[in-house]
Amino acid sequence: MSSVPALVVLALVAAAALLADRTATVAAITVLLLVVCLRAPRRRRWPYLVGTLVSAAFLFLLSPLLASYGGVVLWDGPSVPVLGRLDVTDDELRIALFQALRLAAVGLAFAAYALLLDHDRLLQAAGKLRHSVLAVALATRLVPSLERDAAGLVEALRGRDVVVEGLRGRARLLSPLLAGSLERSLNLAESMEARGFGRPGRTRVPKPPWTTLERAAVLAGLLFVLGAVLWL
Amino acid sequence: MALARVRQLTYRYPGAARPALDSVSLELRPGEVACLLGPSGGGKSTLLRALAGLVPHFHGGVLSGSVEIRGIDTRRARPAELAGTVASVFQDPEDQVVLTGVGAEIAFGLENVGTPPAQIEPTALAALDSVGAGHLVERRTQELSAGELQRVCIAAALALDPQLLLLDEPTSQLDPDGAEDMLDVACSARAVVVSEQRPTLALERCDRVLFLEGGRLLLDAPRDEALLWLAEHRSAYLPQARFASGMEDLGSGEPLVRLERVSYAYGTRHAVGPASLTLRRGEIVALEGHNGSGKTTLAKLAAGLLEPSAGAAQLRGRAAYLSQDPGRYLVCERVDEEVALGVGGDLERARRALGLVELTGYDSRHPRDLSSGERERLGLAAVLVTEPDVLILDEPTRGVDPERKALLARLLRDTADLRATLVVTHDPVFAADVADRSVRLGLVEEPAHV
Repeated sequence: MSSVPALVVLALVAAAALLADRTATVAAITVLLLVVCLRAPRRRRWPYLVGTLVSAAFLFLLSPLLASYGGVVLWDGPSVPVLGRLDVTDDELRIALFQALRLAAVGLAFAAYALLLDHDRLLQAAGKLRHSVLAVALATRLVPSLERDAAGLVEALRGRDVVVEGLRGRARLLSPLLAGSLERSLNLAESMEARGFGRPGRTRVPKPPWTTLERAAVLAGLLFVLGAVLWL
Repeated sequence: MALARVRQLTYRYPGAARPALDSVSLELRPGEVACLLGPSGGGKSTLLRALAGLVPHFHGGVLSGSVEIRGIDTRRARPAELAGTVASVFQDPEDQVVLTGVGAEIAFGLENVGTPPAQIEPTALAALDSVGAGHLVERRTQELSAGELQRVCIAAALALDPQLLLLDEPTSQLDPDGAEDMLDVACSARAVVVSEQRPTLALERCDRVLFLEGGRLLLDAPRDEALLWLAEHRSAYLPQARFASGMEDLGSGEPLVRLERVSYAYGTRHAVGPASLTLRRGEIVALEGHNGSGKTTLAKLAAGLLEPSAGAAQLRGRAAYLSQDPGRYLVCERVDEEVALGVGGDLERARRALGLVELTGYDSRHPRDLSSGERERLGLAAVLVTEPDVLILDEPTRGVDPERKALLARLLRDTADLRATLVVTHDPVFAADVADRSVRLGLVEEPAHV
């Protein structure tokens, strides 16, 4: 499937996850998206998967402590300044699981977009939204380029007999990584300007028409969203 | 009529103490090839940016005088409006790639300048073919080697069929054969200003030579006249023939690195080998080869940064490795602290190392404020300070001017007895200057035994 219909389908599936009311439905969508993400190369997919799943896990663990939805108390904890009494009820756990799955589904849909879609094709199809789509495409590249820079930095430091160890050592890399990223973004902006970006009268490479399969997939996505609103 | 006219151009970057360009005047005619020479930080890149209209529009700062391209004053036209008439290839190919696919990357500029849609793909393919990169059209830009990426950037500029092509060290990542082909293609049928720190090839192809130092244009003359001037005033920039250095390991020093039939693959992509190499204390070995032949991988295997997938690697003593483009991997806020990082913060040793690479007085500067050539030397100081038994330098002369290259060669030669040194380089003149022997790595399909 080409990038534009694939993006539409991913957006519709993420929307269905947000609109569905049943935990089982959202869980099924999450598993489906996880399977899709696992098609990406292991080296590229791990930051996205770890980021998404850890965020969802934090939401699941923390929200029952902070929320007050009633239900049968399963654990009664101490009273903490500002937050009040910490407790966990069965309803809070159920809702926390539901919200964590929703977050995971949306995160995985983004991961699939970042890892598997051809952003160049999206840009070519963007028409008047070209500037916004390019900004999103460049922002999407931030994670892999930071990962590459970090690996290069660690290797360069090893070559200088400097071993990067522990949280403190890695935290020390954040500032140079950010500085390098800013420097690169300036260079990139300069290159884009020199290559005529933003000039009126631009054209674009002819894009291939959607296939029957792609049209069918988008239609199925729309029906899925409708189903999520009405029944799931 | 002149294609480009620069009149009394003086330009100061925002916050800079002195101007980057000082009263520069010159004219370029259609079809003329000008070779732009000068030391690092001398204003070459700034002049190219002024010709592209990026100075002052993109960088800000204070500009007096004027630059006209085909009669258009660049102060009144944005760089994007000059695109197509002018095309630029900047120093660092990694920082100028916008899109993720090679084909789309070439098409990006063509779309921006309004090329008819039906012509975009054939034009992009023709441009890639012209630089020997047609086979890369379906590849992702992140997967390309630095040399391949440089070809793609040049193809992106050539695709626009510009009247004025501005090249800032366009061959720094290319092997000599590739660099020669590239310059032949770039310098045909259009005006070109090419800034080069490996000037031999550019000097062979140019009509005129410009020499910038401290922001001032010291020389603007036809090639033959310029060669006489260079011989008298800046002989390091003269074209130099390389001597054929020996290939065989004839040394008698203590072997510090021994690679025996080593191979390495990144995932499923075979990178190097099987290859064998011995480095002995007291010798300097130049490692040469085509782009993609696995030089960097072999260097990392020698430094112990990678474990071979097959074969045996032995390293005796401590190795230091200077990566390609070390300016990208700076972590401290001050130059002296950056160098001292490898010796437990010993600032005294750091200052001595800075002196070796002629960066005395730069101690308190921020490393990212240095020019690319200065960053390269800073990276070198950061590995020299550790006083390694094995020193491995990957493209240490990228962005370094010929005079400083000669100093670097002398420094390495003077201290050669202390260690074994491996220099990965595409610069045959530097290799000939510095190395006792030269090792040439074949393409991956042709296993190398060196």
